Amino acid sequence: MTTQPHTKTFTPSRPIWCAGCGDFAVKGVLEKALENAGVAPHNLMLLAGIGCSGTIQNNIKCYGYHALHGRVLPTAIGAKLANPDLTVVAAGGDGDGYAIGAGHLVHTFKGNPSITYVVMNNNTYGLTKGQASPTSPVGFHDNPEEGMDSIMLGLSLPTTTFLARGFSGNPEQLEKLMGAALEHTQAGKGFAFLEVLSPCVTYYDTHREWRARVYNVEEDEGYDPTNRAQAFARNMEIKNEGRIPIGRIFKGEHPSLESLVLNHKELPPAQQKIGSLIHREHYDKFISSYLG
Amino acid sequence: MSSKNSQPVLDDVSVIVAGQGGDGSLTVITMLADLFRNSGLNVYTERDVLSRIRGGHAAATMRAFIGEKYCIGSKITLLLALDEEAIEKNAGHLDSDSIVVFDDSGGSVPENLLPDGTRVYAAPFNRIAMRTMRRELYKNSIAFGVVGRILGLEDENIRDTFVKRFQRMGQVILEYNLEALGLGFHLADEMGIHEGEGVYKIEPTDPEEHLLIMGNESVAFGFMAAGGRFFCGYPITPSSEVLETLQKWLPRCGGVARQTEDELAAINMAIGASLTGTRTMVATSGPGFSLMQEGLGHLGSAEIPLVAVDCQRSGPSTGMPTKPEQSDLNLMVFGGHGDFSRIVLAPGHPEDCFYLTVKATNMADKYQCPVFIAMDQALSQNIATVKPFKLDDVEITPGKRLDDKDLEGMEAYKRYQFTDDGVSPFAAPGTPGGMSLVTGNEHDEWGLVSTNPVNRVRMMDKRMNKIELAKDELPKARLYGDAKAEIGFIGVGMLYGIILEAVELLGKEGIKTKYLQPRTIWPVLDDVLEFVEECSRVYVVELNAQGQLAHILMHQGANPDKIINILRYDGIPFRPAGLTRRILEEESRFIKDIKREAKVQ
Repeated sequence: MTTQPHTKTFTPSRPIWCAGCGDFAVKGVLEKALENAGVAPHNLMLLAGIGCSGTIQNNIKCYGYHALHGRVLPTAIGAKLANPDLTVVAAGGDGDGYAIGAGHLVHTFKGNPSITYVVMNNNTYGLTKGQASPTSPVGFHDNPEEGMDSIMLGLSLPTTTFLARGFSGNPEQLEKLMGAALEHTQAGKGFAFLEVLSPCVTYYDTHREWRARVYNVEEDEGYDPTNRAQAFARNMEIKNEGRIPIGRIFKGEHPSLESLVLNHKELPPAQQKIGSLIHREHYDKFISSYLG
Repeated sequence: MSSKNSQPVLDDVSVIVAGQGGDGSLTVITMLADLFRNSGLNVYTERDVLSRIRGGHAAATMRAFIGEKYCIGSKITLLLALDEEAIEKNAGHLDSDSIVVFDDSGGSVPENLLPDGTRVYAAPFNRIAMRTMRRELYKNSIAFGVVGRILGLEDENIRDTFVKRFQRMGQVILEYNLEALGLGFHLADEMGIHEGEGVYKIEPTDPEEHLLIMGNESVAFGFMAAGGRFFCGYPITPSSEVLETLQKWLPRCGGVARQTEDELAAINMAIGASLTGTRTMVATSGPGFSLMQEGLGHLGSAEIPLVAVDCQRSGPSTGMPTKPEQSDLNLMVFGGHGDFSRIVLAPGHPEDCFYLTVKATNMADKYQCPVFIAMDQALSQNIATVKPFKLDDVEITPGKRLDDKDLEGMEAYKRYQFTDDGVSPFAAPGTPGGMSLVTGNEHDEWGLVSTNPVNRVRMMDKRMNKIELAKDELPKARLYGDAKAEIGFIGVGMLYGIILEAVELLGKEGIKTKYLQPRTIWPVLDDVLEFVEECSRVYVVELNAQGQLAHILMHQGANPDKIINILRYDGIPFRPAGLTRRILEEESRFIKDIKREAKVQ
């Protein structure tokens, strides 16, 4: 009998995505960036929403969690606040993040927890066969509404610290952006929001269109990602020209949620030993505060 | 009733303070409760308010007594009426022994509304407050002086309580209130009620130490003492005190109490914390509990531990937010899509709230499933005296956890491994060698999505059977009254104190009854079913329109022929005398039926 050096854990499954799906690039880039950042699989908590993109945690060695539809952000925040030593990465699609979960996106921008959020935006609902999504343009399946832009939403909130957009067709830049996002959260600087244009080859193949329309702000002379007002104005201009801004859109500074919420004199919630009465003195104080 | 020389010893008094919302009725009652508690009596308070900050009739009630009671009595000893409406609304509870202290700033006392013999002490508290302190709010403190004297409280003790209450609001506010209280004592002197010459006398007892606490605060503390370190909530009446208490105390212990953007965020943020191995709880009321349903079912499917507190209020929809009801029992027991197992516990008073929340926190961890605590508005918010919680009695039993050393010795780690008891050992994120997948999709032992029919059935059975095994250690019902009685009562939550007293009152009428207080509502335990079996009839008393508890019991095999449902859903709690009357009516019909049957035969 041979001794096993390591306990066997689950074997990551093969992605369920269609050949040519943009999500393959996202997965590859995420794995590389995690390796570069030296994140061990046991310290990675990868949470994903519902949709095609919401299966990525099955394909990577990690502590994986499949969230309820639209709820990946509050779940990820709960995990980060309970154990801030974990690298917490949330992933999902535009339907999950901008429709059913839009309220949580706003409040995650507001709270600025040090988690990375990767939104694989394909402008459609792929898993339910191609309905219009919150980012679909006017006319797609008779969609009467203009698509929304979550980067612009993020720019409008004063607490955002990291806003970037990548394109699955440009993996080199995407890798840099993913690396920067992880670096931002590993350093405890707050919420790293990375939207990836990730075409759905089956229901809405935007690959060629997007390749022609993306505009890299980093090549823009004088673009200052730390100037919120200027970033907003320049992104509006680019959009008005029919282009889609990509790159590191905004860098800001604001205290992270965990730095504000946790009592740093004590171990964080998940690292406390259950069963010990180490806080007995506070319990006694509680009781005496209700005595006469 | 009494002269100066034969003051009765105060052993059971109920005081109502009534006026308009914002008049401060609750403040007066809370201070009275504190004073009586400090005098060695037990107290119970109740609030009757509207869901608004100012305006509308508002009242608060306090009962002080010797012995153990957990409800407001049927008789009102003293009514402090801050306006005429206060008399109109409460005259029905008064009798010839009652005392009314009336603010006649707006007109003289409506004598025609009062029963004959009621003694009235009237003074223009509002006008005096406006004239001397320029703010009507101080009318309470003036009236307090008169009420305190009548009830036999010592001036010095009242002053101490004022200092305790108002000091934290600043020196100016404290001084104004003390001045107002002094005016009140002066008024009492003018009415001929000098210190020590009140209507009642308080027998100095050796005061046993008691906590003065509400159910919500007891739940919060039970969770904390059980090692709970993460809480999420969204403000909603009548559960907000759980959030507020934990926001004050949890951070001191390194814990987190988050107010989230909505209940969907609350339940999911709690799930995120629980995934890391942290003991976690949420608290809400009906509307929030409805919003949380998807998350609660997910806990069952993904086998994530969590305690969820439902402080029930009158529904459906927004209902009557400040009124008590027990109409979410179906939602707690049967709610959510799909089949999953859950545990539902039901405490009956603040002490029970503490110990059952400790138990709930342990059970959630041990069985990796949601555990619900069924509260109601009165149990949640009514303040009562209880014996100090014994921390040495708190047992914290961690669930099946694996650390890196445990994992090293294992061939494989599967998050959803099949085991004899259905509970799979858990390695928290961050543990080397414990990588795993958690999902609400049907999954195999590894946590990989699977629709394999054989696996599906095994996984469903694994999850459902856990609760069968838990039955042995779930909190048993408590039996009160005459064990040999053939007539039984069943009721949960705030009804505990009311039924106990009704059993006593019925005894005086010659009707022997007993009361079983179920403390686990789901799964239904054998002790409850056996109780129904051994009684000839059981009154299941509930604050809802459908008889939800009775139906849950019948669903689990209780004989429907033995169950008589006593229901109330008008937003008003039962009083012991009112409940007793309802039972006497039922019993008289029953006796007539027996006679009629005998004749026919």
